[in-house]
Amino acid sequence: MKALRIILILIVLAALALLPEYGSDTVIQFGISTLLLAVLAQGWNIIGGYTGYPSFGNSVFYGLGAYGVGIAMVQWQLPFAVGMIFGVVLAVVFAFLLGVPVLRLKGHYFAIATLALGQIMAAIVSNVPLAGQNIGLVLPPLNDDRLFYELSLILLVAATLTVWWLTRSRFGFGLIAIRENEEGAVVMGVDTTRYKVLAFALAGIFSALAGGIHAYWITFLDPESAFDLTLNVKMIIMVVFGGPGTVLGPIVGSFILSAISELLSSEVTSIAGLFFGIVIVVAVVLMPRGLADVIRRFHRLGWHYFIDNIRTNRI
Amino acid sequence: MDLLLQVLINGILQGGLYAIVALGLALVWGVLNIVNLSHGAFIMLGAYISWYSFHWLGVDPFLGLPITAVLMFLVGYAIQRGILNLIVRSPMFNTLLITFGLEVVLTYLAQLVFSADFRTINPSYSGRNMTVLGITIPLVRLAACVMAIVLTLIMWYFLLHTRLGRAIRATAQNLSAARLYGVEPRHLYAVTFGLGLALAGAAGGLYGTVSQINPYIGATLTAKSFAIAIIGGLDTPLGVIAGGLILGLIESLTTLYIGPTFADVASFGVLVLVLIIRPTGLLGRTA
Repeated sequence: MKALRIILILIVLAALALLPEYGSDTVIQFGISTLLLAVLAQGWNIIGGYTGYPSFGNSVFYGLGAYGVGIAMVQWQLPFAVGMIFGVVLAVVFAFLLGVPVLRLKGHYFAIATLALGQIMAAIVSNVPLAGQNIGLVLPPLNDDRLFYELSLILLVAATLTVWWLTRSRFGFGLIAIRENEEGAVVMGVDTTRYKVLAFALAGIFSALAGGIHAYWITFLDPESAFDLTLNVKMIIMVVFGGPGTVLGPIVGSFILSAISELLSSEVTSIAGLFFGIVIVVAVVLMPRGLADVIRRFHRLGWHYFIDNIRTNRI
Repeated sequence: MDLLLQVLINGILQGGLYAIVALGLALVWGVLNIVNLSHGAFIMLGAYISWYSFHWLGVDPFLGLPITAVLMFLVGYAIQRGILNLIVRSPMFNTLLITFGLEVVLTYLAQLVFSADFRTINPSYSGRNMTVLGITIPLVRLAACVMAIVLTLIMWYFLLHTRLGRAIRATAQNLSAARLYGVEPRHLYAVTFGLGLALAGAAGGLYGTVSQINPYIGATLTAKSFAIAIIGGLDTPLGVIAGGLILGLIESLTTLYIGPTFADVASFGVLVLVLIIRPTGLLGRTA
């Protein structure tokens, strides 16, 4: 059973890696944006899914990564790789400086504090001349979608392996203990502040790398799109749809939801958006614990699964 | 000196309007523990209802506020009863997600139905000013601010001194005990959310008289409402008035002394600082 699963994952991975060989340009471009979204979802999974802190600030990491690459390549004429490292450094510094005070907050308050951080960063960056202010930065073009695709895939594999490692490491168990009962975790000797900040930084590193790749790929960067709150909500939806606190849930969630919104946006865009909103509402009502939970329990309960969910969660 | 005074007055006028923008959000959050990410989108909807009743039916925007509020109450009652009541006990960020989904639906619906054009509600008196001691006060802004504060005070009285208001507060404190005393939570939750949206509707009508409206104003208004509700605290509508005034003053002072592009940095910076130092709000009780 376990060997079968590993073989299956390897086959899917090989098919994904070879996609540029047989896919059209449109498919490859769709692939890049889907893979990057999956990386963001996987990053959010570390802080939101495993640690239980619903961060609305992960788009800040993404923006910092994008600006790291943008500033390094446009203003300092440094290579892309240096820009990626610079972006990661910015994200880690941000996680450590703001993680300590903000991670003391719980629940909705944490969500809103992180939400405000995104707004503040967007406003600050639009006033910094080095970052191109409101106008933004135009990066040197590189027409190599294949490279961007494979880089995104490697990044997704790295993020997923990290999350898989979390499920079997002392660090990961510490995070789950914090999610389940933070006071209890303290009693058990978990240094909760250190664990939470490290989880925040780890999520930040992957989000920043995704932001860096995205910036170089689309060659344009401005504060509004780099610190877009919608992006943050998208990652949360993808994780919650797939199954928070699971290794593969966020990936499955982002692949399915990306495919749906891509299919729909070939029709009229506003109807696509409308439908996306309806999908979110219906999914939250019918499967509040994500696809992973549906797969675990559907075969036992059948269609009653959905009715059961409503019964347990309504007042 | 005159300039500073003028800026302070502008800040207060804006702040009064901010209070009612945030009041519905604070009510729903404080009582139902639902953080409504679609709050701003409902304000947008209220603004459009007000626009249509003014341009199609010729109803004065201030006199039309009750119509907008009643319509929005019905919308809110239906949404809570039909959708939100179904997920009240599911994991916390599901309420964030579902209200975000509603925000998406509303924004795109508005785009389809109302188009993306900018609109303004401009009754014949909209350009008139009053001058007191060399300070210009736009009449519409003054009326909007006064109306906002009056509605907030009515809400405060309602929650503290009416039977229904007490039932709502009792449910907020202890759901199962309230049930024992014969309160029907499903209905009461729907009434509370309806009231939240009625306030959002009124806020939208007032907002439409002083600013332009389009389908995308919702997100900013939601973010501002968070800032106001957190700065002021969720316990009392008076805190929300204080939060609104503080935010209005911060924005106008930052615009005067540092520059308009820093207004958002300042207001959200204060929000984060308040959260870190005093998470229950400046006027809220200590946790």
